[in-house]
Order: sequence, then C-alpha cells, then structure tokens
Amino acid sequence: MGTRRSRFGTLLALGVSLVVAACGGGGGGSAVPTQTGPLSLGVIAPFTGPAAQFGKLLSAPCVAATDLINKAGGVMGHQIGCVSIDDTGDAADAVPNVSGAIATTSNFDMAIGLESNTAATTVPLVEAAKIPFFTTNGLTQFNKNTLQYYYRMTPGDDANGAAFADWAVKQGFKNVAIVFQNNIGSEGNLPGLASAMPKLGGSIAIQLTIPADAASYSVEVARVIAKKPDALIWSADPQTTATFLSNYKQLNNGVLPAMVTATDSLTPDFFKAVTKVVGINYVTSNIWLVGSYFDQTTPAFNTYKAALLADTKTHDIAPVLSTVGPPAGAYDGINIMALAMIMAKTTVGSAYNADILKVVQPSAGAVVVGNYADGMNALAAGKTIQYVGVLGQPAFDASHNSGGQFSATKFNADGSATLVGTMPGAEVLNLLG
Amino acid sequence: MQLLIEAIGFGIAAGAVIALGAVGFSLQFGISSILNITYGSLMTLAAYIGLFLIDLGVNPWVTLAIAGVVVGIASVAFHRWLLAPLARRGTRPFAIVIVTVSAGVILQYVILAVAGPETQSYGDQGGQTFHFLGTTLGASQVAIVGLAVVLMLALHLLLTQTTLGRAMRATSSNRILAQSCGIDTDRMSDVAWLLSGWLCGATGVALAITTAGFDFSIGQVFLIPMIAAAVLGGVGQPYGAMVGGLVVGLASELAAAYSNPAYREVVAFGILIAILLIRPRGLFGAAWATRRLMA
Repeated sequence: MGTRRSRFGTLLALGVSLVVAACGGGGGGSAVPTQTGPLSLGVIAPFTGPAAQFGKLLSAPCVAATDLINKAGGVMGHQIGCVSIDDTGDAADAVPNVSGAIATTSNFDMAIGLESNTAATTVPLVEAAKIPFFTTNGLTQFNKNTLQYYYRMTPGDDANGAAFADWAVKQGFKNVAIVFQNNIGSEGNLPGLASAMPKLGGSIAIQLTIPADAASYSVEVARVIAKKPDALIWSADPQTTATFLSNYKQLNNGVLPAMVTATDSLTPDFFKAVTKVVGINYVTSNIWLVGSYFDQTTPAFNTYKAALLADTKTHDIAPVLSTVGPPAGAYDGINIMALAMIMAKTTVGSAYNADILKVVQPSAGAVVVGNYADGMNALAAGKTIQYVGVLGQPAFDASHNSGGQFSATKFNADGSATLVGTMPGAEVLNLLG
Repeated sequence: MQLLIEAIGFGIAAGAVIALGAVGFSLQFGISSILNITYGSLMTLAAYIGLFLIDLGVNPWVTLAIAGVVVGIASVAFHRWLLAPLARRGTRPFAIVIVTVSAGVILQYVILAVAGPETQSYGDQGGQTFHFLGTTLGASQVAIVGLAVVLMLALHLLLTQTTLGRAMRATSSNRILAQSCGIDTDRMSDVAWLLSGWLCGATGVALAITTAGFDFSIGQVFLIPMIAAAVLGGVGQPYGAMVGGLVVGLASELAAAYSNPAYREVVAFGILIAILLIRPRGLFGAAWATRRLMA
C-alpha cells in the first residue's frame, strides 16, 4: 500500500508540474516567461578588420543607454551588459560569430548594430533567434519586409542618396561627379542619386565605383577632373578618401572639389586622416555631411549627450558621435526595448516584442517620455507612455522602418560638427522612384 | 589619348612601388626557397615605424632608410631563429608557408593592438608636381621611381659584379655545391634576408607615402600584387620581379582608365594569368625556379 500511495503521490506531483508548465509556456495563460541574472545586449558590429572603427562607434550608444538604465535600477531589477559580437565587417565571416554568440550568450534579449556590410546574413540569424533588434543598416532590401523582430530608425540608403542630391543642388552644384567605394553600403546610395539628380534639374558628369585602399587613384581622379564637375558626391572609408584627395590635389594644381558625403564619415578617424592630407580649411569649409536629422536641443538629446560625456569609454567621441543618426537610433532603440520589457512584464524577446510599437504609439493621455527613467516611472505609476527620443517621434511603417528627416552638417576645427541645414523627409522621399 | 598617356605615367609610378617590394620578395625566395608571407606584415611594421619617426620630425626619406634597416634586421632574425631551423628539421615547404602566414597574422594583430585600427597618415608628402609627356607626377612619386631604378641597378651590380653577389647566386643555385666551394651559405642567407628585408621595409614606407592614408592592413593588401609581380617575372628572379611590378602597375592603371575602376585588379590579374598561360615560368623564370616553387 505504501508503495502504491507513494507512486500515486509522484504521479500527482508530475501531473501538477505539467499543468503549471503548460500554463507558463502557453500563450493563453497569465504567466509570462522569466529570466534570472543580468541581460545581454548584443552589439553586432565589426570590432576587427578595416571597419573596426564602426564597432567602437556602435558600442558608444550601448554604453550610454545601459549606464542610464542600470543607474535607474535596471529593467525589473535586471542589469544590462553590452556584449560585443564581432561581425568582422564581412557577411560570410559574420555568420559563425553571430551564431556562436546567439548560442552561448545568456539572456541574449536585445541587439543593435547589424550594419549594411553584414546585415544580409546577420539579420536572418537574429530574427530566427527571436531577439528584437534595432539595426543601423541602410540596405534598400529591408525597405519592405515581413520580419517580426526587426526595427530601423534611420532611412534606407536610397533615401540617403536622394538627400545627397537634394543638398548638392541646394548648394548650387548641378553637375556632380559621383565616386563611391565598392561596398554594399556606399553603392546603396546610387539608385536614389540617379533618380533624384534629373528631377532636381541636375546632371551626373561621371559616376565611378572604386576599390578600397588602392595605392593610387590618379587615373580615376584624371577621369573626374576631365569632366569638370561642380562637386564630388562621395562615399568611402577614411584611407581611400585620403588617397583620392591627395591625388586630386596633386593633379588639379592644389584645387580640391566641394564634397557631399554621408554622416557615416562624421568620425574622428575620417576627420584626422583627411585633415592631415588636405588641411583643416578644406575639411571645415568644403565638406558637407548628409544624413538623418534630429533636433539637438531636446531634453532627450541632452540626456543622451550627457550620458556619452559621463562615461570615460565614450567621453572623447561624444561631441561628434552625438550628432550622428544611426548611433542615436541605436540608443533610442535600447530605451524602447527596455520600456517594452516593463510593459510586457518580461525580458524575453519573443514575449516583449509585441509591446515595442506600443512604447512609441501616440495616444491621447499618454505621458511623453524622452528617457528610460521617466518611462519606467510613468509605467510604474500605471500610466500609458509615448517614447519620443533623440531622433524625435518614431513613426514605424508596416516594415518597422522609421525614416525621419535629413540634415547637412559640417566639421568644426576641433572635429565636432555643426548643423548647417535640414531637408524634410517628404521632400527627399519624393525624389525617389 | 591623353588618358592613355596619363595612365602609363601613373602605372609606372605605381609599378615602381610594387617592383620594390616584389624584388625583395623574389630575392628571399631565390636564396632560401621560402615563400615568406610574413613579408606583408613586415611592410606594415615599417609603415608604422615610419609614422613614429615622421611624427618626431624625421625626414620621410631618412625614415624610409631607417625603417628598412629595422625590418632588415627583423627579417634576418625571423629567418635565422624560426624559418631556417624549421627547414633544417625537414619541415615541408608548405608547412613553412603556413608558419609564415601565421607569423604574419600575429604580427599584424600585435600592430593593431599597439597602434589601433584608425587610419594613419604621414600627411601630404606629394611635394612639388612635375609635368612631362602629358603626365603629372608628385615629387614623392618621382623620387620613388628614381629610388626603384637606383636600387635595381645597385642590386644588379651587386649580384653580377661583386664576389658577395656571385656567392649569393651560387648559394641560390645549389646550396650544397656552394658549401663545398667554401662559401658560407648561412652568411649568404643572412645577407639576402637583410637586403630583402631592407627592401621590404623601404617599400612599407614608400607605400604609406604614396597612399597618403593607411592602416594595419596595408602590407597584406599590397602583398598580393607584389607576389603577382614576382610570379609574373619568374619567382626567384629579381630582374623579372622588376618587370613584373611594372606590368602589374601598368595593367592596373590602364584597367582603371578604360573599364570600371572597381575591377581594376580583376583586369590586372586576368592579364597576369594570360601571360602565365603563354609563358608558364614567368617572363624571366628559369625552369628550376618554377620547380622549386612547386616543390
């Protein structure tokens, strides 16, 4: 008898356990999946190789956001740590690194980065792992998509290309030479440029795609000079830029063309390398950097910049970095994901993902918040929130893309940047297609 | 026509830098039968030594000479204490190549750890421009072409007109026979690695001057066209490497002039393969050189 009772007790306990487990794992129950310990925020970017600078730049918004979140007590008691995941800047090499990180990183619940050079391979991996992510890639192939965990707060490369053309024509440069490095990010701007220039009454004198890091671009420069362009629309890494401009200066009697390029070049590396070769006057007077626009006077921006300045890891690059769209979008993305976790009462990506859009949804009576702490406090008080961050009010479309406006900036003599003009998003998007 | 003339001029300038590096690479292989892939990282090392010295105010051309000496000594040490012992123990040539690849990667990442990934520059070293025959070249380019010519002539005289050069050639041709004739072949190897290391270091600085901007990958990037030039000229044949360098430089610039510049290297290497199909041993390669490479 004793044995039978014991067996019955075991079966009962097993049955109860199964029922509890079924309620916890199913979607229909009230219980939500839980985790213990700190959360991991993957920064998927190149940390080695020629594009390693991007890893450093994309780590900065992670440092700023997690500093503020952790200082506010974390997400429901969980501290967040930035985990560098090296995609090497190469789409093929990225796969084992990202797959390995997904398999081995504990509480991997959020990600940023996944830039243009590797997005084609890294985005599907992170999507399949059901980890919500805010990407900085500009690939046009993601303009329309059906991905569930994907979010982008900066425009596609084609829109950036149209913004280049818009700004060039606004400056009076109607006959431009387009020279892009042969990488997927740079070349993504071409369709937008080709579409926009004729609509703006401008023309393309010559269009060249050049390899990175050649010993000399003298022949390419000679071809450009022969077409007598008003300006150069340019996208390339700092080393390639330094070599090209050095050759241009040599072959054009010391005269360099005006340059319109992407805010991707708004980096200390670009500034230092190009200034050393062509001088500070040219860099501060004749280079315009076009990209996402955001108001740099809002409380949200001030909080972001203060956080960058406060941490020794990001202090030095804060003046420049805080003016660049993609890192700011990553910072906003982290805050949005963290607030969505509180809303969903879970840190598990597959469970809180549905609340991401609710965090930014405008609604009557919602408390507008521009940082994590304010959002957390409002949610704790039982209020509905509307996150309006550094990049302003996100407006995600059906593909989870939120484009926004465009701006042009110039370098200051100390390498920081000054806003010199803006372009409404609608104006630029009308130049496409 | 104007573009053709310009492309030839730029091709000669680019080819001179490639030739400098290719000659050193080829000389190393000729004397020791070792395909030294670490050569690329040693060029990078030289570029950063150059940066350090130029930032201290040292003249770029003095810097080139100093970096050459440092890399020359490093090359001798690398050969004497790592590669030569491996060869003596019967390590297969292919395994030695892998050792040089590994050493190159290690050196490259040590440079990255110390100097960082940022783009570096010596500043504008182009100097005064010279216009001749429809081409415009900077003073630094003219100087590098001149340096290449002088060094090639000096190397030619060394190899053909001096006892040391004849001993080096004898060592290159048949090491055992050279030893039996009383030649200190180990010393000849040291001299060859010192010379080729000097050329490697000088090329690293010349590349950094030419490109205006560089990072920790500069040596590896340019090693490929240099190996191509050496193979084209006939591996182990310094004179062939000179011509090979010029052919690679010219082909690359002409491709950039008349096709999509993004594919300039594809065209250049296509030409290289075509030439090798016609002359399998390279432009100046002897049969033994090819056999040794294949061994």
